[in-house]
Amino acid sequence: MAVNTPLLEVENFNVGFKTERGLAKAVDGVSFVLNRGETLGIVGESGSGKSVLNRGIMGLIASSRVVETGSVIFDGVQLANQDRQDLWGKRISMIFQDPMTSLNPVMKIGKQINEPIRKHLGFSKSQATERAIELLTSVGIPEPARRISQYPHEMSGGMRQRVMIAIAMSGEPEMMVADEPTTALDVTVQKYILDLLRQVQLDRGMAMTLITHDLGVARGRTDQIMVMYGGRIMEHAETEALFANMRHPYTEALLASIPRLAHAKHTRLSPIPGAPPDIVEPPPGCRFAPRCRYAQQQCITESPAVIDDNGHRYACFYPVGTDENAEALATNQARGETATGLKIGPAPSKTDNDGENG
Amino acid sequence: MKYWLQRLGMMIALLIAVSMLTFGAMSFLGDPLFNILGPIAGDTENPENVAKVQAAKEQYYLDKPVPERYVRWAGDFITGDFGVQFSTDGQPPVSDLVKERLPRTIQLTVMAQILALGIAIPWGVLSASRANSLTDRASTMTAFGFVSLPQFALGIILLYVFGIKLDLLPDTYNATDPFWGFTHGHRLIQLILPAFTLALPAASTYQRLLRTDLITTLQEDFVLMARAKGMSRRKVLFGHALRPSMFSVLTVFGITAGALIGGALIVETIFRIPGVGLAIVEAILREDFPVVLALVMIVTTAFLVLNVLVDLLYSVLDPRVRR
Repeated sequence: MAVNTPLLEVENFNVGFKTERGLAKAVDGVSFVLNRGETLGIVGESGSGKSVLNRGIMGLIASSRVVETGSVIFDGVQLANQDRQDLWGKRISMIFQDPMTSLNPVMKIGKQINEPIRKHLGFSKSQATERAIELLTSVGIPEPARRISQYPHEMSGGMRQRVMIAIAMSGEPEMMVADEPTTALDVTVQKYILDLLRQVQLDRGMAMTLITHDLGVARGRTDQIMVMYGGRIMEHAETEALFANMRHPYTEALLASIPRLAHAKHTRLSPIPGAPPDIVEPPPGCRFAPRCRYAQQQCITESPAVIDDNGHRYACFYPVGTDENAEALATNQARGETATGLKIGPAPSKTDNDGENG
Repeated sequence: MKYWLQRLGMMIALLIAVSMLTFGAMSFLGDPLFNILGPIAGDTENPENVAKVQAAKEQYYLDKPVPERYVRWAGDFITGDFGVQFSTDGQPPVSDLVKERLPRTIQLTVMAQILALGIAIPWGVLSASRANSLTDRASTMTAFGFVSLPQFALGIILLYVFGIKLDLLPDTYNATDPFWGFTHGHRLIQLILPAFTLALPAASTYQRLLRTDLITTLQEDFVLMARAKGMSRRKVLFGHALRPSMFSVLTVFGITAGALIGGALIVETIFRIPGVGLAIVEAILREDFPVVLALVMIVTTAFLVLNVLVDLLYSVLDPRVRR
């Protein structure tokens, strides 16, 4: 394929799970394009469908209840509903959330790295071991020659996640899916792992999807960011454009919920009230409306279409930073609650979205 | 090291306790003089017979108090002298009897366990990899069938179908035939039916345990990870998931193997294999204390040693339990 075609084109992709109550639409009409060598951040809270989206793209959901529709074109080949085993580890690889449980506890580290090297690159055992040591060195593991004969329990969480990255790189894939790679790790090693991933991705020209619930993590390490909620795309833009001009109330709320060093001591966090929507019978309007401080009557009855503003996509009737948005907030504050009945305080809280909008 | 010394101490304590209990029970419950002397043992009038009884009592230390007899017996036992049989001529010595009987039972048990594991592992993997499919349900039914069928029934069915009706395998065991060889005249082949009789229910139990553990293991992140790095289903099942799923099977294996050495009694009876199980029953009925004691001690030791081996194997299966 020509190098300038996008590596991954996802078009109106849906992933559902058959349940007793009906189809749980975990991913609902998602479209995006990922170019070679680029990183897409997929951001959302738990249950937003970000992990299912990625596993759905990889075809790694091992359930007979899964229903996939739509189109996933990887390097010009349609993947949706196809067997994708040939791609795993060789062309697309994955880094899992929890390095403590994702390595085989009864197999030496060396063998766990050797396996994919031998399979995908056809190396002999000694060649593979040599390559495994190179890979471990490149992810910053000291004394790699000794480490290969150790078991996972002899390593710390950060070390194990580096091993996972080494394994993911071993088949020399074109794309890497990093599913919350630092969620289970100590804060002190999170930054190191994220920077390592970014460096590996840039060095090898791999495309990457970085799944996280932390907008701050995605910032500075991604080329574009897609914000998901209830299985749908809420907002999708180039990283800089997103932070410069945040349009969706959910994105705004997500950012406001993260504690900032710039905050004064003892500043209360601003959690997003409520819980994720029911994905079996979702509300007819905007999925975020029940938790949105700007929600109006229209948000309850109509589902907002995705607006494409020069590549900055968002799905909202009252996008942040517009006069309509300010008006909606004023209306809600005046009556003390939103159209969905969410109680909101009368005084505008200025700490909610400062700091990160510059 | 400290752990293993403790284990050794426990083993010795257990062996002493078992021997005391067995020795005590045998001494208080029976009178072996009839087996040694015949009917004259009950004669209290004829002085010639009374003298014989007295002589026999002295010869076998039956006139001594039980604790003293126990100490004498134990002292001889640890030097490998298992004593004489309590029979008219006392021949052959108990150690010869053990040497004759024990190998037969061990051959049968080892064969049965190899068959059981050889059947259970692929069977359990097949069931777990297709959990709740038709194959899995049929497997469950079959396994419960073998477990619930009494062993004598299974033995007789196998004997009738394969030994007599189809005449594929020998239906009798001949202790004087050579072991290694592949004809009806070799004990290796003669042991196939009895070994299957023991192996099928054991395999069914192992299969159930392996299936359950394997289904749990297959939910683990590292299994998904192995798939995501491109390993085939087969490789993931046998190379990644099987080993950490073997713990329950191994535990039960230790218990069954130990129990089998003590008493494959039903199978030994059906297939007429003069092994340890039959020997123990015969000896109990004859009130032949030295034979019972020797066999009980050997079975207990085998059981304990097997379970130490099983504990060692745990650390081979999972490096995290290494001490």
